[in-house]
Amino acid sequence: MGRLGVVAAGVEARRQLADPGLALAFVGGAAALGLFVLYPTVRVLLYPTVHDYLTIPQSVRWIQAARNSLVSTVLSTSTAVLVGLAFAFAITRPDVPGRRFFRTVALLPLFAPPFMVAFSYILLFGRQGLVTRHLLGLDVNIFGLHGLWLAQTVAFFPLAMLVIAGVLESVSPSLEHAARNLGADEWQVARTVTLALARPGIAGAALVVAISVLADFGNAVVIAGGWPLLATEAWFRLEGMADLRGASLVVAMLVVPTTGLFLVERYWVGRRRYTTITGRGGRLERPPTYPPLKWAAFSVCVLTSVLVVLIYLGVVAGAFTAVWGRDWSITLDHWRLASDRVTSLWASLRVAAGAGLVTAVAGILLAFLTSRPVPLRRALDFLAVLPGALPGVFVGVGFVLAFNRPPLELVGTPWVLVLALAFWHLPLGYQAAVAQLQQIDRSIEEAASNLGARGLHLLRDVYLPLLARAFVEGFTVSFVRAVTNVSIAVFLVSPGNVVATFAILNMIGNGIWGGAAALTTMLLLVTFAALAAARLAAGRALRPVPAG
Amino acid sequence: MAIHLRLVDVVKRFGTAVAVDGVSLDIEEGCFFTLLGPSGCGKTTLLRVVAGFHLPDRGDVYLRDRRITHLPPHARGTAMVFQEYALFPHMTVEENVGYGLRMRRVPAAEARERVRRVLELVGLVGQERKYPHQLSGGQQQRVALARALVVEPEVLLLDEPLSNLDAKLRLRVREELRDLQRRLGQTTVYVTHDQEEALALSDRIAVMNAGRVLQVGTPEEVYLRPRNRFVAEFVGLANFVEGQWVGPGRVQAGRLELQVEDGGSSGRKVLLAVRPEEVRVRSAPPAGSPNALRGRVRSITFLGSVRRCTVETDGLQWVVDVQPDVRLQTAQEVYLEVPPDRLRVVEEG
Repeated sequence: MGRLGVVAAGVEARRQLADPGLALAFVGGAAALGLFVLYPTVRVLLYPTVHDYLTIPQSVRWIQAARNSLVSTVLSTSTAVLVGLAFAFAITRPDVPGRRFFRTVALLPLFAPPFMVAFSYILLFGRQGLVTRHLLGLDVNIFGLHGLWLAQTVAFFPLAMLVIAGVLESVSPSLEHAARNLGADEWQVARTVTLALARPGIAGAALVVAISVLADFGNAVVIAGGWPLLATEAWFRLEGMADLRGASLVVAMLVVPTTGLFLVERYWVGRRRYTTITGRGGRLERPPTYPPLKWAAFSVCVLTSVLVVLIYLGVVAGAFTAVWGRDWSITLDHWRLASDRVTSLWASLRVAAGAGLVTAVAGILLAFLTSRPVPLRRALDFLAVLPGALPGVFVGVGFVLAFNRPPLELVGTPWVLVLALAFWHLPLGYQAAVAQLQQIDRSIEEAASNLGARGLHLLRDVYLPLLARAFVEGFTVSFVRAVTNVSIAVFLVSPGNVVATFAILNMIGNGIWGGAAALTTMLLLVTFAALAAARLAAGRALRPVPAG
Repeated sequence: MAIHLRLVDVVKRFGTAVAVDGVSLDIEEGCFFTLLGPSGCGKTTLLRVVAGFHLPDRGDVYLRDRRITHLPPHARGTAMVFQEYALFPHMTVEENVGYGLRMRRVPAAEARERVRRVLELVGLVGQERKYPHQLSGGQQQRVALARALVVEPEVLLLDEPLSNLDAKLRLRVREELRDLQRRLGQTTVYVTHDQEEALALSDRIAVMNAGRVLQVGTPEEVYLRPRNRFVAEFVGLANFVEGQWVGPGRVQAGRLELQVEDGGSSGRKVLLAVRPEEVRVRSAPPAGSPNALRGRVRSITFLGSVRRCTVETDGLQWVVDVQPDVRLQTAQEVYLEVPPDRLRVVEEG
């Protein structure tokens, strides 16, 4: 039986590839994954010699960076998950006031460039801080671990919220009613049912957040000050010392824990989620929430919302203030300065549009391939999600090492940045397409092939119209993240192709806060305009598809 | 028997929609009481009012002589089996069943013993350490039942508990449930839209529609003496004849004159009903029988235990069931015999 099954699968795989279009797509997809995901990864890991790896324990600086990364990851992950839990709880309980507002506010940090939280908090809470110095009269040094901790908590709690809220939402209200019915009071319901069921979600959220914190380059480079971290160390090596070996060694050290966390999340926690849907049942509202728990979550949400809104307010205020910390008069000078660098904004848009396009197309093509019995299906699937485990700095160093010499000498051209960003965000496009494909009823495809459509015709006639939504989604997410990216951009920008985030980072580094704030504000406007356009496009993309 | 659960003029609205519209019911101790009605008739809402998940907008719920209208769900002693079972997916069978005892702080040793006994009762010994997703639908259903029974509730509430089971299993669990309820003498309120289930299980049935109770009675009363067209139609299949009294025991329906056992005053309108299995089909005119109607077979459907035929007589359509060995053909001329004592008055006036 087993062997017969294997033989049958082999026959089926060969039958699939007998279609020339599908075979071409397979070769293209596999080659792209091999060249732009697998090859740079292997290049980084094999660049240092065994001897180099063995010297790691002797380098005081690296051990310190590793320890610092560990400390900040533990601290920031804990607080981000706690805040995320409070938000997730608040937005899934119908009796918490302001839950729609909290949901919207909590999504805001996801659209900000990764350094923006840190930058804004320096403006507000630093030595020249509007709040600390001028409102409270304090002398606070925000640079270092505590500043980083605050910035990362605010920057990454939305990820935790999304994961945990997904789990809490799936807890059927009838479970809570059943617990009440069996004699549990409100606190016992929360403790033994609602929160107990959220445990796998909390674990999953912790892993997702930990990966992001470990890999966080933007906040670290702005606010960590002299505090060495693995994510920033790679850049200092390459930028300051042109030390390719050292840079690859550091990012290799970083990729081990992120990949480990990623695998645990994907293959262990991901499978431990409880499915609580058992058959149909009448709609019931959730029973009332235990009041102390409700108000505790509410307070955390209010406090955090203020911090989130301040990120945006701080930067916008910085863009209009003459000399931050000394002269609070309003000026438009910074906008003139920012306009001088407006070419960097266009470069950002070109790169991000290219990356978004590649992510969306490659994501859909690969999702289509892995949804059918092609050879190496599992390997393709793994490579398509693997970039989610790789820190941006790792991908940046990987593309430098992989494409700085013939036959594919791409470093120095804008293409290298487009491809690096596109394939780093590939999992977003791929998973969006996989989710859409799963919703397409198999019978639609069967009906089409019954009427004579085969191979790539199926993709064009049946799937593409239905996948328009996945395309818009993959494009938008990849675009927004590419336009705000710094961790890869710092390694791959070339003099002719400076992107806005890189320009902003340089301005912050040189103390040109007003200009940096103005250019960041412009970048935000572009980001939100792109999001609005995507929403419109999504509406249009869906219209021609009849319901059902 | 003493009244165990009493509902007095219960009203429940959702926004402007009235889900339960002034329901009063008395349910005796040890009674298997069924709320029967189509979906959206308010039966589940009524059950949830009893469980304390909904507060009624008007009216009261009494348990014996205690008013429990405003008590929270956990203080009522009304354990419920949910339609979708609502088993806790993160707890084993044992933990699920023991949950209510844990919440009531029953000592561990006693709780273990009670869980063991109830699992024995529902036939789940050996499954204690399994999680709900490792059980079949029928087993999950038993866990839900055991979890409700173990707290020894005053009243057991069941919300369409058999609707997620396949047809064969449903019959078996139905019998087991009935048997268990009798043995324990457990006062039970059961909600269903399935008339056969209601007839087979209940001591008493309340037929509901649009938030109101239309008739309360034993299964026999509800089936054989429906008090209005809705009950007659919902509980089983019926032929309806609209007519007018023309004398004692005589009803004129179109060109037909029918004899009826019940009386009635001349001139008043009347609605009569007769079940398909109560009409007899003859191939020759039956001698000396009142209500012998000549007609023609329009269609025949073979249903296994019976053949269901449509027969047209003088412009009236009749659905009649005959034994499968009776050979009939479409367009064949037949005589229907409608016994006067089966032609029941459903509505008058």
